[in-house]
Amino acid sequence: MKIDLNKKNYLRALLLISLASPIFGIGGEAGTALKADTLRLTPFADAKSVGSLSKNDAVDILAKKGAWLQVTTQKSAGKKSTGWVRLLSVKRGGVSSSNQVKGLADVASGRAGTGKVVSTTGIRGLSAEELQTAQFNETEMKKLESYTLTPKDGQKFAAAGGLITSPLTYFKGAQ
Amino acid sequence: MHNIKHKLLIGLMVSAGLFSMQSIAFDFGKALEDAAKQKIDEVKNGSGATNPEQAKTPVEIDAAKNAAESGATVVPDEKAFNWKNPSTAEEIALGREITGSILGAAPLVKDVKLQQYVNKVGRWVANQSERSDLPWKFGVIESSDLNAFAAPGGYVLITKGLYQQLSNEAQLAGILGHEIAHIVQKHQLKVLQKQQLVNIGAGLITDKFSKDNKLAKKAIGSGAEISARSLDKEAEYEADRMGVVLAARAGYDAFGLPEVLQAIGQTNKTDNSVALLFKTHPHPDERLTKLGNSAGSKLDNLKAGKTLEDRFYRLKN
Repeated sequence: MKIDLNKKNYLRALLLISLASPIFGIGGEAGTALKADTLRLTPFADAKSVGSLSKNDAVDILAKKGAWLQVTTQKSAGKKSTGWVRLLSVKRGGVSSSNQVKGLADVASGRAGTGKVVSTTGIRGLSAEELQTAQFNETEMKKLESYTLTPKDGQKFAAAGGLITSPLTYFKGAQ
Repeated sequence: MHNIKHKLLIGLMVSAGLFSMQSIAFDFGKALEDAAKQKIDEVKNGSGATNPEQAKTPVEIDAAKNAAESGATVVPDEKAFNWKNPSTAEEIALGREITGSILGAAPLVKDVKLQQYVNKVGRWVANQSERSDLPWKFGVIESSDLNAFAAPGGYVLITKGLYQQLSNEAQLAGILGHEIAHIVQKHQLKVLQKQQLVNIGAGLITDKFSKDNKLAKKAIGSGAEISARSLDKEAEYEADRMGVVLAARAGYDAFGLPEVLQAIGQTNKTDNSVALLFKTHPHPDERLTKLGNSAGSKLDNLKAGKTLEDRFYRLKN
């Protein structure tokens, strides 16, 4: 896993980066089903079903392809099954991502109590108090304004990165 | 006069800060909506309409008094903010005030290349929106919190703390897309409007007073104050949905934003940087689930987008 907001999986992240597939680097990571969904043979909605996930099922994430993750279920009873499921149906991390488990991991890795970005970087946070006493800063605002780009600038940047627009309509809200 | 204006806006920002501290989302607008609803209830319940004084909070009474006292000295060229139908220029002016005060608390990171890079990514994502005409501005600010801000008119700020946790351009595009969505949908502005219109409807602001910017801003301030305790999750979910789509339209991997949410979801609940988030905000798991339900099969066959980790601008420290 490349993104590591909590800094607690730092070691694991390093490990994973070294093992990583170039696309994602999540091979072998634990995950949890956010909802019931179908496991499919290939990463397509119309592919053959090879099993199912129930909410909160623990899985091992093996690979990512587009909108899909390849996972192995870890159901204690029954046999293991491997298949593809929609990425948004699974969250990273184990079922009991409770503080206790995390806490133990922190102790084990010697990171307990130091995980906070604040203490490691020495940069202050942005507290309510600081905002309360803040004064409008014209100099900084002018600086911010000086970075303003035109739509064309954006296009040039996109072209340089080989970004190609893709038509997609917004989703409606779902219950 | 300028000073007062800023002080009032700071009140507004305090809640902005609180809310966005909870997540990468900027929520004070939704929070204000709750305040407006509360006010509507007050008015509906009788006291407001028949006896405006009762419906007033002390701050409002104070504001009305001040406005009344200063009525004769209101600077003639200080035009009323058109709350009913603010022009783009007014929207930008409001956003500028809010953003400038945030910058007063946390200045821009002194790294021109970083700021330029974020503006390029943000500009490109904003190009995919319905408001590409806005003069979009993006900045990374000196704060270790995991945080992002949006303000009306196209102002988006992301904290250094959050930026440092990203590993590719698609993730940055996703976060910026979420903030851009808040501005495109005028989430904050709509709520501020409601608050103003409700006040006017309840007779709390007379014609004379409504021409006074100070009073308008005082109303914002008190609204934000109240609303710091509650928020509307729906606008948040909407910004998630739109953020994913905007990034995908721009040619990025659509799952940059979900990746960031995934990571926030794993953050220890006792960590100060997310304590407030988990207390008052939909949990990232909830946001991911909503996003998944909304997306349905729509992302299944999406052409694979780019993540561009190679050109992602990494901070030196």
